[in-house]
Amino acid sequence: MRLDDLQNAFQGRVLAGSPGIEAELVDSDADDFAARLGAYTQGYRSRLVEALGVSYPALKALLGDEEFDAAMRRYIDTVPSRHYSVRYYGATVAEYVGIDRQQPLAQLVADLATWEWLLAEVFDGPDDNPVDAAALAAVPPQAWATVSFRFRGTVRRTVTHSNAVQWWRSLQDECETPESFESAPAVQWLVWRQELKTLFRSMDADEAGALDAAVAGASFGALCERIAVSVGAADAPLRAASLLRSWFSEGLVAEVCSDRPVD
Amino acid sequence: MASDLGYGLGLRPDHYDAILSDRPSVDFFEALTENYLVPGGKPLNYLDRIRAHYPVVLHGVSLSIGSSAPLDTDYLAALSALVRRVEPAWVSDHLCWTGVAGVNLHDLMPMPYTESALAHLVPRIREVQDRLGTRILLENVSSYVAYRSSELTEWEFLARLADAADCLLLLDVNNIYVNSVNHRFDPDEFVRGIPAARVAQIHLAGHEHQGSFIIDTHDAPVADPVWALYRRTRERLGPVATMIERDANIPPLGELLDELDLARQLDPAEAAA
Repeated sequence: MRLDDLQNAFQGRVLAGSPGIEAELVDSDADDFAARLGAYTQGYRSRLVEALGVSYPALKALLGDEEFDAAMRRYIDTVPSRHYSVRYYGATVAEYVGIDRQQPLAQLVADLATWEWLLAEVFDGPDDNPVDAAALAAVPPQAWATVSFRFRGTVRRTVTHSNAVQWWRSLQDECETPESFESAPAVQWLVWRQELKTLFRSMDADEAGALDAAVAGASFGALCERIAVSVGAADAPLRAASLLRSWFSEGLVAEVCSDRPVD
Repeated sequence: MASDLGYGLGLRPDHYDAILSDRPSVDFFEALTENYLVPGGKPLNYLDRIRAHYPVVLHGVSLSIGSSAPLDTDYLAALSALVRRVEPAWVSDHLCWTGVAGVNLHDLMPMPYTESALAHLVPRIREVQDRLGTRILLENVSSYVAYRSSELTEWEFLARLADAADCLLLLDVNNIYVNSVNHRFDPDEFVRGIPAARVAQIHLAGHEHQGSFIIDTHDAPVADPVWALYRRTRERLGPVATMIERDANIPPLGELLDELDLARQLDPAEAAA
């Protein structure tokens, strides 16, 4: 058998139990052959379950070891790893893990998985440096309408529809977890890193919308127009400036981008 | 030939703070490459700080040098960038394949020991070495099954490969012992068949008996038969950088330092001193 056929057959056995590799292996009729092959087939699943337990410790605590193991094995049998680092395996767990559950637990489970993956992304995200608000002083008045901002690589946004963050926090603090799996009105979250410390806070919908637009590259002028819808045109520049100040002071901004030459 | 770095340990996050605060007497640390192929944050921060005080070697699990799939150029680019950052004494990975068709099994799958596999591997190793600008070390892996198509012994395959590709070898003495039980051969014949000048590093680790065969688990102290084989290997090879791997049931750093001293005590030069 050619090398590529051999490896495809072996991989097919590991991933899906496909027959074919046995004929290529010695002692396939031995009493311990199934156990030896199991070192690869079962080992594959055990290793990935363990890796997912590292990425999703709170989800594991919520579900319990047995249910977590079963849920992750279903995921593993659906989604193979396609990245060279096992660290990046499991990015889509949130899309799968809640689907066979009753609401509101399904929402809590999905929110918690999303939250933990996002925290992992922030944990080892890029080490770019923040700029402080003094960078704004270099922007000439005529450039303000078009100035935009590049945000740091660890700035992340998510929205929860359950008390997932409350659950996560109680598990972190090793205090009592909430008694119920609650559906909740949407809560907007900002997560980012200052040096090596991961920080997060909730934000109102207006700020969340403005931040999402700013992260996507909207100019200060466009931000004012967006904010004007909720606070009125007269108050929009002040509100936009206030948001900018807080984003700068929290270290979210990596660069002030101006089309016009800065004197 | 890579220099003899002495006696090292695997770098594990559990020990980061103890290493930085206690500066233990370890000659080098072996960092798992993939753990540091991330954009930033704590893993790279700790690696940089530890590198400032210790020589570091990089040990990967996803090169998949034996895969029939093309080399992963994204992986090689990330590895090259990490090499530039860390300036390791050397870079190693495993003589195995880890997946085909874009999948990574995150396991060290065994190669068939055939002439055609040799012909497949040699240009791939040369390409990796060209990209990294250095010879790499390839490690013999534990295996639990063997292919009917194999034409060579594992040690013949390794010796032929190292010579043809001009690469170095990382001899895992635990894996030699594990395979000698699993595939019923004399581990000393394996050691005698390896060209000493190609061996730049030795691994030691623990394993677990599963009835009729052994699994390479890295979750226990080095077993006595492995220590005995290590002593005989050292007698044949002379001074070679040696390190202990522990990936599960990781004990406090002090326990691993004590275990590393056992390796030092088997060093003829240390024993004479």
